[in-house]
Amino acid sequence: MIEHDPQKEAETQMPEASAPTELIASVRNLTVGYASGIILQDVSFDVPRGSVFGILGRSGCGKTTLFKAMIGLIEPYEGEIFVDGEKVEPLAEGKSESILRKIGVLFQSGALFSSMTVAENVALPFRQYTDLNETIIEQIVLLKLSEVGLLGKERLLPSELSGGMQKRAALARAMALDPKILFFDEPSTGLDPVTSAELDRTILRINETLGTTIIIVTHELASVLDVADRVIMLDGDEKTIIAEGDPRHLRDASTDPRVQAFFRRSLSA
Amino acid sequence: MAGRIFGPWRPGQTGATSDLTDTDGVVTPSRESCGFRVRVEDKHFDEICVHLGGKIFMGNAEAVLQELLRTIRNQPMKNVEINLQEVEYIDSSGVAILVAVSRASQSLNNRLSITNVPDKFKGFLHLFEEPAPAPSGVLRPPQGPNLLVQIGDGCTALYNNALDILAFIGAAMEALVRDLSRPRKLKWDGLWKLIERAGSDAVPIVTILSFLMGAILAFQAAVQLRKFGANIFVADLVSVSICLEMGPLLTALIVAGRSGAGYAAHIGTMQVNQEVDALKVMGFDPIRYLVSPRILAVALSLPCLTVIADLSGVVGGALVAWFSLDLTPTAYFNQVHKVLEVSDVLKGLTKSLVFGIEIALIGCLRGFQVRGGAESVGTATTSAVVTSIFILTVTDAVFAVLFYYGPRL
Repeated sequence: MIEHDPQKEAETQMPEASAPTELIASVRNLTVGYASGIILQDVSFDVPRGSVFGILGRSGCGKTTLFKAMIGLIEPYEGEIFVDGEKVEPLAEGKSESILRKIGVLFQSGALFSSMTVAENVALPFRQYTDLNETIIEQIVLLKLSEVGLLGKERLLPSELSGGMQKRAALARAMALDPKILFFDEPSTGLDPVTSAELDRTILRINETLGTTIIIVTHELASVLDVADRVIMLDGDEKTIIAEGDPRHLRDASTDPRVQAFFRRSLSA
Repeated sequence: MAGRIFGPWRPGQTGATSDLTDTDGVVTPSRESCGFRVRVEDKHFDEICVHLGGKIFMGNAEAVLQELLRTIRNQPMKNVEINLQEVEYIDSSGVAILVAVSRASQSLNNRLSITNVPDKFKGFLHLFEEPAPAPSGVLRPPQGPNLLVQIGDGCTALYNNALDILAFIGAAMEALVRDLSRPRKLKWDGLWKLIERAGSDAVPIVTILSFLMGAILAFQAAVQLRKFGANIFVADLVSVSICLEMGPLLTALIVAGRSGAGYAAHIGTMQVNQEVDALKVMGFDPIRYLVSPRILAVALSLPCLTVIADLSGVVGGALVAWFSLDLTPTAYFNQVHKVLEVSDVLKGLTKSLVFGIEIALIGCLRGFQVRGGAESVGTATTSAVVTSIFILTVTDAVFAVLFYYGPRL
């Protein structure tokens, strides 16, 4: 069981380097890659608390690699990542457990456990991290499912849900412990435009009502322009950030041809 | 009037407070350590106000709930107002508590209202306004049907399973015959890889286990035969039992555990990833594309592995006979030559050919039966091994009867 003091967590500050504005995540000089080679080199950026932050770029530019590094799934070669004042350590070393309570992750495929019902999937974090009795857990699970519009589906297995429902069930699980940051990896993948827009609305509602910081990895322009306050754009050739700022401003004012090509969906870059 | 105070409640609160207990001003350490405060105030003759303060989170949610439930049950005839002005932190568990307290209040025919919600927590509290169903045991495993229904379902499943197996055997054999009649259509490149995985890769484990099996048989026989001075018959026992029975069966079990399970997992995963559907829409017959080469691979590999198992087992027996019975290798192998007939080896190889076809068929069938996700793949893999063991044993028994009563080769 991880000690959890909400007040202490609320008082936690970012390291000195990122202290001037209220930041919830900070990436410093990150170099990350795989055995096949370096994917991103010397990447630095900050995520303001309570924002919807987008990580953009073309396929293969390192978005998912950065996402995995930020949640501790892969170890950076160099650099540091801070989440809510704590340094992210590789999960395999078991040093980042207190961070795990602060983050929720919605994977591209949803990653629901196929042997468990929807309710059991959402209840899993409570059983892992709290001593709550089953009745309270069930009540919270029902509240979470109500929040994502899945009431009545509690007893279904993931395989009995549509793609959009699976994403929403996975979102309910990601939100279970009221995380301070929610990470979304390509949330619109495999969804029709209407379902995708519904998911975007849910993301915005969570951000507005609960104040949860949202970090979205995506290449869906419509989604980014709808929900993100701030974005960074990665480039696979330069292996670093090529643009940062308000996505609407980047679309309208950026002079970088690669950024323009991305927002205009053209091949000119 | 005295107030009931839990935790470090600050003095100077306004409004009259009811004397529910005699603990006026007493700070209960356990509640203080829990980080929340509850103070009850009489508002009207039929209404109480419960001032909730401090931090309410998953670590103390149960204690808060018990305290609130006790409070409203102590005043069963009064409506309840819960004032959240002093709350410093609340999360989803706090909302769940309020929903539970609201439900308890309704069961006493009282009205419950939430007031003075701090702005920063209104996001969480909006959930309270939306009706959420009461817990009904959705996290408890569903009750299974009664025994008779289970037996009926089991029989139906068995019947359907048998039909599936027969239909699949028919389809696979038809595909195999078609492939063999037009060998150019067969994917030979893939076949060699399958033979390598099912055959060559299994040689070390088959050799070691057969060697040990021969040695164990010889050792057990030696203990008994030594009493009668019949040491030489160890060679008879080991060679005949290994070549006729243990070699083919042991090898088949090893291959079922390696290749049969592997085929079920591989085809099952393809099924989950819609690769099988992709084959169909591209005009491939999945049975011909996936099953025929695997049947051929295992059917060709298993007799070869059985020969290796036979040799290894006999050598294992020879070593034990040499060291524990002082039976020289020459004497041992002379006796093997006298007692072991070519037909015994051929019978074993015939069995192994049939075993190979069965293992591949069952592994592929279980793979095609996968529906859903990862759990189904695991179930199919387990089922492939268990079904193979059962079918192999039954087939072995049938062969034993056939070889005994059938014409001598």
